[in-house]
Amino acid sequence: MRVNRYFLCDLWGSSFGTLGGMGITMLLKIIGSAVVVATTSILGYALSINYKRRPAELRELQGLLQMLENEIGYLSNLLVDAFEKISRSSRSKTVIFFNAAAENLKSCSSIGASNAWEKAVRDNIETTSLNKEDEEILVSFGKMLGISDVEGQIKNIRLLQSQLKLQEQKAEESRQKNERMYKSLGVLGGIAIVIMLI
Amino acid sequence: MGIDLIFRIAAIGILVSVLNAVLTKSGREEQAMMTTLAGLIVVLLMIVKEIVNLFDTVKAMFQF
Repeated sequence: MRVNRYFLCDLWGSSFGTLGGMGITMLLKIIGSAVVVATTSILGYALSINYKRRPAELRELQGLLQMLENEIGYLSNLLVDAFEKISRSSRSKTVIFFNAAAENLKSCSSIGASNAWEKAVRDNIETTSLNKEDEEILVSFGKMLGISDVEGQIKNIRLLQSQLKLQEQKAEESRQKNERMYKSLGVLGGIAIVIMLI
Repeated sequence: MGIDLIFRIAAIGILVSVLNAVLTKSGREEQAMMTTLAGLIVVLLMIVKEIVNLFDTVKAMFQF
């Protein structure tokens, strides 16, 4: 054990010695390699985080729609008031759709509920992790918004909820497939670049 | 030539095999195949100089 440790110390000392002997280029190479690996790792992590967020956001959206259903079905609130109440009640990121739709409706009363909702979705989809498919589903929900009686509205909300549930399952599947892959791909790609450049 | 070339090729081999495993596990067989191919090409580019060297040596040996 003791011999082993001394051997390791010696090895460390000799490698350090050669490092000093090789001069500054070796040090620069090590620092550059570390920077490249760190950069690609961060890139992979940033790509993987979207896959992690999307199922959570779809779940939150379903909760918010449940609230909207209550607002319309039991309280019979105006759409603007319902949207504002929902956007005040939650801290999640997807609440931005409701907030923007309420703003659109208030700033221009002739815009109509479906256009206000569509504009809100199209403007703010980039700030969330939702993809094109989710965007189209949300926009198609907006087409039916505010043009039928309470019964029809509630049916529309239920339809959107079931669609979002399906999307959530798909998002969960793709998360399991892609999240870890992007993380490991980032690190391994960095190491590959370092080996080729070194 | 040096021993570092062998180490580098070994490192690329390990890396490609790990990448292959990761990509196959996430259901991307095509990309895994492409990665293997890319690794092969990179290693071939690395050793092409040595192969030329070998051929030159052989040629010089049989030239009187």
